[in-house]
Parts: sequence; C-alpha cells; structure tokens
Amino acid sequence: MKRLLAFGLAFGLVVAGCGGGGLGGGGGLKIGMVTDIGQLEDKSFNEFSWKGVQDGASAVGGSAKNIVTKDIADYKQNIQSFVDQKYDVIVTVGFLIGTDTLAAAKANPGIQFFGVDQFIPDPIPANYQGLLFNEAQAGYLAGIVAGTITKSSKIGAVGGREDVPPVVNYIKGYENAAKSVKPGVQVLVNYVGDFNAPDKGEASAKTMIGQGADVVFQVAGLTGAGVLRAACNAKIWGIGVDVDQYQSLPDAKACIVTSAEKRLQNATRDAIKRFKDKGKQSGNFTNDATNDGIGYSPIRNLNPVPAGLEDKLKQAIADMKSGKLKPVP
Amino acid sequence: MIRLRSVARELWQVASIPLLAIVLAFIVAAVVVVISSTFTSTGFDVFLPFGAYASLLAGAFGSGTALSNTLVAAAPLILGGLAVGLGFKAGLFNIGVAGQFLVGAFASAVVGSSLATSPTPVGMPLAVVAGAVAGAAFGFIPGFLKARTGAHEVVTTIMLNNAAVLLLTWAVNDLVRAPGFSFPRTGDIGNSALPILLGRNVHLGIPLAVLTVFAVRWVLDRTTIGFEIRTVGQNPNAARYAGMRPVFITALTMTLSGLLAGLAGAIQMLGVIGFYAPGITASVGFDSIAVALLGRSDPIGILFAAILFGAFRAGAPLMQIETSVPIEVIDIIQALVILFLAADLIVRRVFRVRAAKPVISELATVTQTWAGGTSPAEPS
Amino acid sequence: MSEAPPVLEMRGVTKRFPTGTLANDAIDLDLRRGEIHALLGENGAGKSTLMNILYGLVTPDAGQILIDGQPVTIRDPADAIARGIGMVHQHFMLVPVLSVAENVVLGQEIVRAGQVLDLGEAANRIRLLAKKLGFDIDPSTRVDQLSVGQQQRVEILKAIYRNARILVLDEPTAVLTPQETREIFEVLRRLRAEGASVIFISHKLDEVLEIADRITVIRRGRVVGSRTPANCTEGELAELMVGRAVSLRVERGRSHPGAVVLEVSGLRAKDDRGQEAVRGLELTARAGEIVGIAGVAGNGQGELVESLIGLRRPTAGSVRVAGRDISRTSVDERRDRGIAFVPADRHRFGLVLPYSVADNLALTRYAEPPFAGGFAGIVRNFHTILENALRLMEEFDVRAPAPTAPAATLSGGNQQKVVVAREFRHDLKLLVLDQPTRGLDVGSIEFIHKQVIARRDEGVAILLVSAELDEVLDLSDRVLVMFRGLVVGTFPAEEAQREKVGLLMATGGSRA
Repeated sequence: MKRLLAFGLAFGLVVAGCGGGGLGGGGGLKIGMVTDIGQLEDKSFNEFSWKGVQDGASAVGGSAKNIVTKDIADYKQNIQSFVDQKYDVIVTVGFLIGTDTLAAAKANPGIQFFGVDQFIPDPIPANYQGLLFNEAQAGYLAGIVAGTITKSSKIGAVGGREDVPPVVNYIKGYENAAKSVKPGVQVLVNYVGDFNAPDKGEASAKTMIGQGADVVFQVAGLTGAGVLRAACNAKIWGIGVDVDQYQSLPDAKACIVTSAEKRLQNATRDAIKRFKDKGKQSGNFTNDATNDGIGYSPIRNLNPVPAGLEDKLKQAIADMKSGKLKPVP
Repeated sequence: MIRLRSVARELWQVASIPLLAIVLAFIVAAVVVVISSTFTSTGFDVFLPFGAYASLLAGAFGSGTALSNTLVAAAPLILGGLAVGLGFKAGLFNIGVAGQFLVGAFASAVVGSSLATSPTPVGMPLAVVAGAVAGAAFGFIPGFLKARTGAHEVVTTIMLNNAAVLLLTWAVNDLVRAPGFSFPRTGDIGNSALPILLGRNVHLGIPLAVLTVFAVRWVLDRTTIGFEIRTVGQNPNAARYAGMRPVFITALTMTLSGLLAGLAGAIQMLGVIGFYAPGITASVGFDSIAVALLGRSDPIGILFAAILFGAFRAGAPLMQIETSVPIEVIDIIQALVILFLAADLIVRRVFRVRAAKPVISELATVTQTWAGGTSPAEPS
Repeated sequence: MSEAPPVLEMRGVTKRFPTGTLANDAIDLDLRRGEIHALLGENGAGKSTLMNILYGLVTPDAGQILIDGQPVTIRDPADAIARGIGMVHQHFMLVPVLSVAENVVLGQEIVRAGQVLDLGEAANRIRLLAKKLGFDIDPSTRVDQLSVGQQQRVEILKAIYRNARILVLDEPTAVLTPQETREIFEVLRRLRAEGASVIFISHKLDEVLEIADRITVIRRGRVVGSRTPANCTEGELAELMVGRAVSLRVERGRSHPGAVVLEVSGLRAKDDRGQEAVRGLELTARAGEIVGIAGVAGNGQGELVESLIGLRRPTAGSVRVAGRDISRTSVDERRDRGIAFVPADRHRFGLVLPYSVADNLALTRYAEPPFAGGFAGIVRNFHTILENALRLMEEFDVRAPAPTAPAATLSGGNQQKVVVAREFRHDLKLLVLDQPTRGLDVGSIEFIHKQVIARRDEGVAILLVSAELDEVLDLSDRVLVMFRGLVVGTFPAEEAQREKVGLLMATGGSRA
C-alpha cells in the first residue's frame, strides 16, 4: 500500500509539472496531418503523404505533426484537435475523410486545408484544396511498360468499378500507351465492381491469364491484391497502382514490374509550398507530369530491362510535360 | 462513518485489481515508450512517457472540450460493453458486437438518410430504433443457432462479423449508394442526426447510453428476466430444474446483446459519423470486449471502464500532437490492462494485495463453455 | 504409556473467521505412532478447518503444534510435507490426463543428468510402494481411466511417496462404494502396521467404530469428548456429535394410503448417451404413502426421476398425476400441478451456489406472485423473497449468517436443508426425493427424515430414490426394486428384509 501511494504521488507531481507546457514548434507554419484509417508507416497513402508534409514543412521553415486515425468516428475529432491547437495548415488523407474535412474548412476559414485524393464538389471554400492526380498519365506510363514486355501481345487490366472516373482514366491511358508501343496488342479489361474483394480480383486475373495475357495491371484497391497474387502464381508480370506496390504489397514482390504512381510526397510538399508562396489555396488541384505529380516506380524483376524501355518512358513524360502527348485524346 | 468505511472496503475489494491492472499497464507501457524513444529522431528520453501521459490526460479531461470528447468516445463503448457484459451474464461470449454494431450503424444510416429532410423528432427516433432492431436481428442469428443446434456462439459470431462487413459493402455499393459522391456511401443523415446538447459534440446518445446502463442494471438485478439470464449463466442445469428454458434465454440474451450493440452503432452513426461507407471500421466492437472484462460485466463497472477507454481515444490526438508518441501506445496500454486482469496473479504479486473475489470470472466461463462444457440445448 | 512423545500434538488451537464464527475453540488433539485417530463431527463442526491449519492452509489465531514433541510453525503445505504430513482431500487434486506415476511425482520429480525427468525410476518406486500397501495399480495408467476408489489410493500413494508419517484423510469414504470402503480400510490398517499415523475425518458412525483406535468428537469448534470404540456405542457418539439425543431409527407411525396420485405406465426413457435406461416401467404411489426405490446406482433411477419432473423427455409411456398425463408438460407446469423434486446433486441442480440463500429459497417460484409482480409481472419483490427466506430458515433450521449470504458459504447439510425447505411446500401432491440425504451428517439426516414423514402424514405421495438401502428400508411404506430400467420386485415395508431386497438388487431375480 505504501509503495502504491508513493507511486501515485510521484506520478501526480510529474503530471502537474508537465501538464502546462506542451512541445510547440518554435516559429513558422504549424502543419498537421490526419491520416486515413490504418497506420502511419503503411508504405502507401499515409506514409508518402506524411513524408511530403515533412518535406514541405522543412522547406517553408515550419513544423509538422500527425495524428493517426484508427476509426472512422475519430476523423472529426482528429481534425478538430489540430484546429484547437491553432495549426495553420491541416492535411487530411483519403476520400473517406473528405466530408469531415469540408465541414472543418467551412467552420474554420482562417486555416488552410488540403485533402489528398479528395475531389471537392462546388461550392468549394476558399481555404480548401483537393489534391488530385492525372491518372491517365500514370496509366499511360504503365501501358508503355506492359506493351514493351508482353510476348503474347495480350495484356490485361482489372478495375474496381467502372463508375469511378479515376479508375477508368488509369485504364484508358494504359490501353492507349500499350497500343502505341505495340500496335495490334490486345488489351483485356474487366471491372469487377468491388474494391474490397481480393478473391474476385484473383478470379478475374486468372480468366485473363487463361486467355493468354502475360501482363496484368490492377486498378482495384484491395481487390487488386488478388490480381497481383494471381499474376505471381501464374509467373506472369503484374503492375501496381497509386504507390510503389513492390513496397506496400510484399506478396507481389516476386512479379511486380512497376507501379503507376501518384507522387503523393511531391503533391503534399508542393501544396504546402504553394500556400507559403501564394496564400490560400482552393479548388481541385491536379498533379500531373508537369509538376512531377505522377510517375512510375523503379522497374523491377526484369532481367535485363528491355533496351530502350527507360528511354521510352522518359520521352513520354517529357512529351506529357510539354503538352505534346495527350494520354487520352 | 463505520458504514462508509465498510462500503469503501467492499468497493476496494471489487475494484482494486482492475485499478491496479490499469496502473501497472501504464507503468509497463511507459517502459516501452522510453525504449522506443531511442529509435526516433528525438532520441532517448526518460521523461517522454510522463509528457505523453500528461498530454493524454489533458486531452481527455483537461478542458470542457476534452471532457466532451471523452464522453462522445465513451458512449458507444458503454453500449457495446453492456452488450458483451450481458452475454457474459448468461455464460455467452458475444464476439459479434463488431458485426452487430456495423449492421446497426448501417440501418440507422439508411433510415436516417431517407428521413434526412423530415423533422428531427420523426427521423431521429426512427433511425435509432432501426439500428437497435437491426442489431437485435443480427444478434438473434447466433442465439438461434446456439439454441437450436448448439453451435458455439464464439465461432458463429466471428463468422458473422465477416459476413456483416461483406454484406454491407455489397449493400452500399449496389442497393443504397448515394449519388454525387466519388466513392460508395449512403446519403447524409441530415435532420436525423442526434441533437447536440452541449458544446460542439455532446449529443443525445450520451445520456441515452448512461440511461441504458441503469436500465440494464435494473433488468439484471430486479426482474425475473434478469434472474433467468444470470441463472442460466451460473448454472444451466439448475435453471432447467427451476423451470426456466435455457434455450430460449440463450436466444433472448443474444438478441438483447445484439440490440445493445446495434444501439451503439446507431448512436455512433447518428451522433458522430453521419454516413455509412464500406471501410468503416468497428474498433468499438472489439474494445467493447475489453470494456466488459474491465468492468467485470457489471453495468456500473462497464460505465467507468468505457469512460476510461473513451478517455484514451479522446486524449490520443493531443498526445500525438504534443509528444509525437504514436497512438499504438494506447493499444498497448489497453492490451496490457486485459492481460493483467487475466493474469491477475502478476498484479497481486506486484502490489501485494489480496482480493477476495476472482477477477475475471467471465474469462473462466468463457473457457469453460469453450472447452465443450455445458450446452443449453435440450437433450432429445 | 510409553515415554515417547506423541507424533503430533495440537494444543489450544483457535481460529476465528472474519465473519466472527469461531471455527476452532482451543482444540487439543494428539496422535500416537501407529494409530488411526478418528475426528468425528457434523458438517461445519470445524474438522476441516483444524486439518487445514495442520496442513498450513489456514493460519491459526492461537495455539501450538508439536511434532515429535518439538514445537513447529507450519506456514504452507510445502512446510507440512517437509515435516511428514500428507493430506488426502475430499476432492482429489490429481491431473486427469497424466499417468499415475506423473501425478505421484508431480512437484517432486526425480531428475537425472540435467533436466530429464526420470519417470522409469519413479514408476519402479511407486510399484514397490503400492505392493507394500496392497494395491494393484499400474503406474503408467492415465488417472482419468481409474475409478474413484483407485484415484483415492493414488492420492494416498502420493502422500506416502513424499515420506508422510502423518496422513490426514478428509471424509475419504464419502465418495466410495461399500466395497471400495472396505478396500481403503485395508490399506489404512497396513499403513498402521508400518508405523504410520492416520487422522481419519468422518461423520459416519459405523465406519469410525470399525476402523479407529481412538475417536475425538468435535462440535461447534470444540472437543466435546474422546472415546475408544470398545467403550462407546453409536448412539452415544451421535449424541456427542449433535449435542442431544438422536434417534437413529426413523420414528414413523402407520401410513394411511389414500387415492392413487402417481401412475406411471409403460415409461421408456434414454440416458444421455442414447441408451434406453428406463424400459417400460410401471409404478404407482398413493397419497400418504412413501414408495421407496432401491437399486444399485445406474439402473435407470436417475432417468426415471428426471422423466417424472420434466427434465427428460420420455420416449414412450405415460406419467399420470391425479389422473392427468403430464409426461409431455414442462417443468413449470408440473410444479403448478403440485409436484416437487429434491435432486440428487444439489450443486448441479438444486442450487445456484453464488446466489444468496434467499434467492435459492425462491429459485423454483421466482416468477410467480408474490415473488414477482409489478410492471408486466416481471419485477422481483425482494421484500417477500427475504420474508420467505427468514420464515423457511426458521422452520427448517437452516444455519446461515444471513438470508443474503451466498449458498456456497453454507455447509453441505445446510445447503441440502435449503433445497428441502424450498421443495417441501404444504400444497403438494407428489414429492420426488432423489438421494435426499447424501453426504449429510446424522443431525441433518434425522431432521430431513422427520420432515419426509410429516409430509407423508399430510397426505403427500412420496417417491424416494436412494442408493442407501438402509434409508429406503427405514422410510418406505412400500419398497420397489429397480433393475436395468424395470421394477423387478415390490415389498410391503414389513416384508422388506435387507437380505431379500439386496439379493434382488444385485441379480434382478428371474428377469435378469
């Protein structure tokens, strides 16, 4: 009992001593990021968005903090915590948190909000900008790779849902690019109608493989994990989406060639810089080749890398930058 | 005075081990934080846990806002904890609170959004009732299966959790998807939201949850139904001998448990989230099991346990902002609390206490029923 | 007497429990070398507390323990074992899935060359030891494959293996058949011949007289007398134990049977494994008559009573009470028709041990007025539940600290009285008693028997099932013998001689 009391007393004192302060970051902008559900080091949206926020903070001489979200019900409060702590910029990640971000932006016009992967419907508050990506361009790069490496002249793409525009854009770009590098290539496309069904993705990919496809591109969220699994099991090539899935999906390491990337790290970094340089940001901002907002992940598992592949990709990026190349005419 | 002291002694007997388990969990988690601090940019920091706990405390109780955040986070845990605790009373382990919660949240979102423009006194109660009824229906399934076939509720409810997630994903995608959004989700609940009573977010669901605590307590302690539930839990043979029907009570208890879980989903949906979308996680479902264990299945104990767990949730953002200590520390503390409750010998050794009562008798009943003990199915 | 000091001496041992009960009040006890010393007393007299003090499980408030004349302090069972004290509890402390040898060496493993457990060596020692004590046991058998009697011998082996010179047996015969009891007595005699000393705790008078060299009687925490079997009688011991004259024979007047109340015909029922246990049984019982069912346990008696009370669904036949077939009705409905039931296993069926005495006294009528009422008739009325409890506790002499005390804290006899008090209502037609006095002391048995006779004389039909043949013969107006699911013989009380009934129980007569 005595020991217990002593402990309680000591604890109480320390708490009282520390309670007042807090570890605020000197001067400069205070930038907070609220993650999507999951963990920070997810080798995906949360992790790369956070890296960009940190880069942006150091570029503008500010400080960055994050709050990891564990439950959808916590979005509101996590955003509000940064508001209460008088943060200048709040970055939120993922489309699910969009509704709560919009509400917070309306309620706090003095704070700049950025929403990664959030398309904001009109009317858009002056202090809220959605960070979107030109999926067609990223898909185009993936298509160049697929068209170059296919031996059967048949490649596949598995999409989540046909009524989600970004998914369709990815696949259109992919299709056009493949046809441009290998005329006559056959592109098998299937929308499974579900982003959360790896088994459906696997089944769909297996069908394509059965029809002779030797490269498959997944644009289907969790469903895509099944697509890449089927590809690896059949010892054909797979192409990932959004982030470098060689890193984020260990199961697909064996056969993934590249991924059509959204450069999240660049997107959040640049957003913060834009705010510092030009003040309040609004609207839906599209990251594309001109601002290094999209790209492809390092080529892997190809030994040797086909001659000229890297050059073709670099040329395509350059042409997209200059406006010469439109992935989807 | 003497009476007061004896009451205090009795309270200490019941609450000492849970309280000390919490203290010990904080101490052990502090060690983890200190060790992990060596791997961060700030470097080794002995005082980091104190800073972290101070922020946690400040974020949970430090201000009116903090306190209301705690209550908002606690409300669904109170109801979820009651759901699990009620099951324990009847000797049932309802792991299906997660699924029942989701089904309840979904149902109230659907009813709420379809009545979004109706006046609140119409849409809101209907949406709440829809959530409770849907949860009850989803709880009835494992109850019925156990009663009829003896299928163990642990197995069936785990399965049904997955079934709920997949079923609701399908339903949102293909049945009730709201137009105008880039991702599948239900419409906004609009006027069906629970009214905010106080400050920014103290909604009607909070007093509703607290009232439910006393309602459940009353049912368990004062009514024949509660007596039947407890008797079936304590001794199903004696229950049959006393003229009760354990089969019926089992199905009823699972249904009531599902109702409470569905109600938790409803108030979370109508008080906080506002729309249903696939990918909604139900951490409430599993935290509820911990809450029921920590509260020893007693409604009042559950109330306090839920407030504690709600405080963890409410304090975590400030802890992350101010000290960059990751939210996973909260998971560690919660897990340690349950670990120390299950292995209460550790707590007794460290603090040299003698508690007269076994701590988690619920765990014992769980392992007993799980080990293929008594099934309430009637012999044919 | 020899000048050597007693092996064990307990002086002025006193223990008061936090509730205020004086469990042991200055108890003196001594044990000589090569002696079987019986400790006799009713349930709750303080025998077990005294032995738990000796074994280091309970710390006494005052008193002294001497071993071989030397004062010792026993802090825990390890201490006790080290001083040569062995204890065989009523509920065995064996691990069912381990072998005999593994159980015996548990905590005392012989380790050879590092950390390897040498079970072979242990098995040899156990085999030798068992032979010396006269039992036939294979050390490699798994304990869960042994009979209860054999398991008890494993417990004794365990103690002797640890060099116990003082062996305490806590009600060893309570769980044994008569045959097994004889065998265990043989073991004890051999131990005595080897020079060991035994403390034998019991409340069964005949056993104590048969096996003990000396008998010490304890009542309400005090030693009230010490006797040798040669200079006392059963009646004298019973009086010492209970504190008043006890009639060991049941005083029952003539019965006056009235109309037929219970009429069972063609009854068939299966046991839990699906085997037919009751096979077309016929019986009747009249108002004001006690019908006893004698039989070796496991001949369908359990299934019969469960079919009567509604806990088991018969596969065929009818059960008529006052002319109405009730064989398909619920337990509840049968209670409403005036049937009550005292189950054989009070812990399994009769009581909810963590519940208060008051709740247990209303257990079978919890949902009816006046115990419930109010809103929708589901609100329990604690006032009447408590009132009912106080009345029944008084009427049936249930000794509990308060009506709110958990039933688990009561002694076995008082627990049984709770069940009896609840079931022996005044508006009964039929009372089914399954082993109503199992494991009880003489005082409680006498009390319950008197209550049974009283209900009979009120005109209740009583069906008594008991494995204790003496109980059936003493109480019954008519004795039926049950064998393999059928009634194979009926005797009026005056013709039911022990030998005749026993023979029919064993063989089933011509129908075997």
